[in-house]
Amino acid sequence: MSAPARQSEKPLFIPVILGTPRQGRYSEHVARFVAGELAGFAGVETQLVDVRDLPMPVTGAGEDVKDPSFSELCMRADAFVIVAPEYNHGYPGLLKHVLDTNLKEYIHKAVGLCGVSAGGFGGTRVIQNMLPVMRELGLVTIFWDGNFSSVQKLFGPDGALLDPSYPRRIERFLRELIWMARVLRYGRENVPVES
Amino acid sequence: MDEHEQAKTSPDGRLLCPRCGGPMNFHAQKLDRSVDPATDTDMDGVLAEFHTCPACKYVHERLSRS
Repeated sequence: MSAPARQSEKPLFIPVILGTPRQGRYSEHVARFVAGELAGFAGVETQLVDVRDLPMPVTGAGEDVKDPSFSELCMRADAFVIVAPEYNHGYPGLLKHVLDTNLKEYIHKAVGLCGVSAGGFGGTRVIQNMLPVMRELGLVTIFWDGNFSSVQKLFGPDGALLDPSYPRRIERFLRELIWMARVLRYGRENVPVES
Repeated sequence: MDEHEQAKTSPDGRLLCPRCGGPMNFHAQKLDRSVDPATDTDMDGVLAEFHTCPACKYVHERLSRS
């Protein structure tokens, strides 16, 4: 795709989903950092989505408790970043509950996963555990991840990033996600499944 | 799946977006195994199809006709 053609494209919309409602969550610093980096790309719009802010009943499940505004946001999205802390090797229950409320809104859209952990593995285990869920939801995972190890040391109390290596790491992750988002949007809009 | 939502069809067989009326692209089929497999015994579930509107990004889901 040539550069002039890209300039005329509609901007990509890639929301960042902060996947934990817990008080004192360091993942919020991660999500804000990633959203800030994403906003620096030309032709990309983003928005931070906090699962804490979504009206999400827990007495039902799936599309029965779909939130119209979150559904509309997902419909508009070309890709997603999900920031998930690792809780006992797994993902937060509320994140799964929220993700399960949509399906058609995700089909053939890209997703990049950021794992957050207090230890040294950068949330790799939560990412591994999320991969089959992403696949079943119809999302397309990329082969880069965001790994945020020892997160309590990565950010200052005001949320300022203390490790200067992360912008470069996340740039590669986001470039891959943007490429996949662009390709999949072309496919969703132009390539029929039966041709 | 909103079973009440209907989409019209263009002369060339493409669905027309229920929101803006533009032609949609049929880009995916997905099997839902959580439902009664008796609904489609060949597939052990229900086959849904997904159509995206290039103009307004709306996605229409319906039971597959094939």
